[in-house]
Amino acid sequence: MIPFWRRLADRLLGRGESAVTVPAMDGALQPNTLLDQARVLETALEPDNLVRWQGGLLYTSGPDIRRVGQDAPLHRLPAPVACLAAWGDETLLAGLADGSLLVCAGALDGTRHTHWAAGRPMACPTALWLQDARTVLVAEGSSRNAPADWQLDLMQRNALGSVWRLDLDTGQATQLADRLAWPAGLAGDGQGRVLVSESWRHRVIRLPAQPGVAAAEVLGDLPAYPGRLVPGPQGGFWLALYAPRSQLVELVLRETRYRNDMLRELERDHWICPALSGKRSFKEPLQRGGLKQMGILKPWAPSRSYGLALYLDADLNPVHGKHSRADGRRHGITSLLEHEGTLYAASRGGDMILAMEP
Amino acid sequence: MDTILSLERVSKSYRGVYAVKDIDFDLRRGEVHALLGENGAGKSTLTKIIAGIIAPSSGRIVLEGREVTFDEPSEALAHGVAMVFQETSLVPTLTVAQNLYLGNEKLFNRLRGLYISAQTFLQSLNFGVDPAHLVSSLGAAQKQLVEIARAVHHKARVLVFDEPTASLTPEEKRYFFSLVERLRKQGVSIIFISHALEEALQIADRITILRDGEHVLTESAAALDRDRIIAAMVGRTLSNELYGHASAGRSTRARGARVLSVQNLSMGSMVKNNSFSIYAGQITGMFGLVGSGRTETAKIIAGALKRDFLHGGEIRLMGKPIRYRIPKQAIRDGIVYVTEDRKIEGFFETMSIAENLYVGQMAAHRAAQRVNMAQMQALAKDWRARLNIRAIGNDARVIELSGGNQQKVVIAKSLLQRPRLVIFDEPTRGVDVGAIAEIHQLINELADSGLAVLVISSYLPEIFTLSDRVLVSREGRVVEEFTRENATEERIMYAAVH
Repeated sequence: MIPFWRRLADRLLGRGESAVTVPAMDGALQPNTLLDQARVLETALEPDNLVRWQGGLLYTSGPDIRRVGQDAPLHRLPAPVACLAAWGDETLLAGLADGSLLVCAGALDGTRHTHWAAGRPMACPTALWLQDARTVLVAEGSSRNAPADWQLDLMQRNALGSVWRLDLDTGQATQLADRLAWPAGLAGDGQGRVLVSESWRHRVIRLPAQPGVAAAEVLGDLPAYPGRLVPGPQGGFWLALYAPRSQLVELVLRETRYRNDMLRELERDHWICPALSGKRSFKEPLQRGGLKQMGILKPWAPSRSYGLALYLDADLNPVHGKHSRADGRRHGITSLLEHEGTLYAASRGGDMILAMEP
Repeated sequence: MDTILSLERVSKSYRGVYAVKDIDFDLRRGEVHALLGENGAGKSTLTKIIAGIIAPSSGRIVLEGREVTFDEPSEALAHGVAMVFQETSLVPTLTVAQNLYLGNEKLFNRLRGLYISAQTFLQSLNFGVDPAHLVSSLGAAQKQLVEIARAVHHKARVLVFDEPTASLTPEEKRYFFSLVERLRKQGVSIIFISHALEEALQIADRITILRDGEHVLTESAAALDRDRIIAAMVGRTLSNELYGHASAGRSTRARGARVLSVQNLSMGSMVKNNSFSIYAGQITGMFGLVGSGRTETAKIIAGALKRDFLHGGEIRLMGKPIRYRIPKQAIRDGIVYVTEDRKIEGFFETMSIAENLYVGQMAAHRAAQRVNMAQMQALAKDWRARLNIRAIGNDARVIELSGGNQQKVVIAKSLLQRPRLVIFDEPTRGVDVGAIAEIHQLINELADSGLAVLVISSYLPEIFTLSDRVLVSREGRVVEEFTRENATEERIMYAAVH
């Protein structure tokens, strides 16, 4: 009974889980304009998941898998690509917006998986991590919504995500974790355990080596929604945070009736929710307009979209970040990759691939 | 100028230990005479002898050519000698006007008349304080103004100011200096104790320096400079250990884990949607003007004040939300707050060092404890040695210590709780240069040992000396963050004001 009364009191007084608060972007997250200063490697429509494969840099854009510097797509798949992973120069695996997983290159080329164990259909692959040529870890953002419906999933306050291990050869799947709030990034911690970024809970967790043990939070209380997690230098990691948190969105998330009305009656572009980019429409809620003074966009404005790439050390402590603030255009950083002294970033909101010093 | 007051071979000893020894001092009519020295140098003791608060053990006091002895402050006041204390001695439950006229009451007092004359008087001094307000409702700076006004009101011919500007804003300091100038022109002689050497050099005609209870020099202010004063005060060249120089070669400490995250904290009109983080192994400096909500924020974190009841924001300690009703809970969680107002909030002034420290230790325990005298003495001995607290013994009353040693007692009380986050609020206010260096060294050692440290200061050189990162607070919230490398005086002040 006590938790019930506590929750009720928290809700009435705006405390605990009902606190409409967002952590400050300070310390390691101190804003800068490094993403805005980065070199544009290529422009593309909503570029996403970067991978290194056969000496080139690949990215996804709609149904295409493209190689940087080439006009023609490397592969055009039957559905938009939600995520991509490579094992060396051999296997290339894509997660599609229809939920399925498709091997695009390698010994199992053409193999497609559409169901998990017990016949449950795959719904929403958000991140892949190939442990070897035949074994993949898959983050499924939600069992109900597709990858493109991430805003809807957030507004529904779902925690229907899971992490699976799948044998690409046999199709045998094992669930490693469930009831996750939109897992969107996967990486190994170097000690055989799996790190998962959990977007709606603004944190990174470490899955236990043994089943039945609760996952441990290793990085929490982030001021933006964490997405893909990739290894960086010196045992560290790069974390892409694709949209900012704001007090307004936190308030909407706590107002169930208002939120339901909003979902029912408004177009998605006009929802009060985070976005990958601003559409520059006056109808947009609190994207820049309220804080434009004398024709100048205020960089510190609480915007719907933001660009943020965060470097974490081996202990998952934030070290430094690269930002594109409210007055920038390189928002919606969904994927990062560091290779040979260059950091590449896919700005899905800014429609470009960026290259910069790490 | 003729001499109005002179002290001849004045000494004061406590149980054989000299607080001041064979001091010769003279004050001329219409002169501002600065009295400088480290904490424990004997400045306060000397001025208390002049004001009749303590009696000298030996020596003579000559006022306007006649030898005098004051058994109590009222006698000194009757002879035209008044003292404004470093920490205010006002009665908090009385109004400003009642405090001004305290001791001068008539048989029947007309309250309205009292307020009107107090209002006129305060306006003549350019002090914006409402005479009808209770003193308990005033801030530290306003209390100091009332204290000064009270001394002026008594039409004293000799005025002793003990650290009068420590809690004043720059604007209020300007008023104070113009008041001193006006009093000087009226022929009032002023003894001025300050740790701000620039102030002494600015307004004093002559400067006397004491060290370890003995007279070192008396010279015209025009003949002295900052370095010479410091060398005379401490007997060694300290300026390089102080602001700016010592820290110049130090690199920024690496940021550890985020220990504290303050999120959208609000408390009335003083703290408005305030958000910032504090990291382990670093000193975070927080600069802001008086009234920028820094102290209130720190007190909310430490459980001494409460945030807004509804939607007051969140504070997370190592990721877990915290909300304290009383400071004891914060102490148990490893958060300690070293207050800016040590006399009121920092210690029990009539208790000994040992008792104060022991009380501090007991405060963190859940259940009642039996007092263990041996443990109390061992604790005091240990912390006196660690922080170099100079006192006659463990049983010396804290009120008898100098400002710097009092501050060390307050810090020791906090550190013996084995904290993980230490908040220093104006750690060197009213502290002499020697003790400043020691306190700064201590704060650096705390950060080096991995603790998270927040230093709130209104003094920019202190912020520069200590901080690995600088937060600037304005109108109740942190508005800007600077790294050690990109912080400049101009940028910080701009952020604090605009």
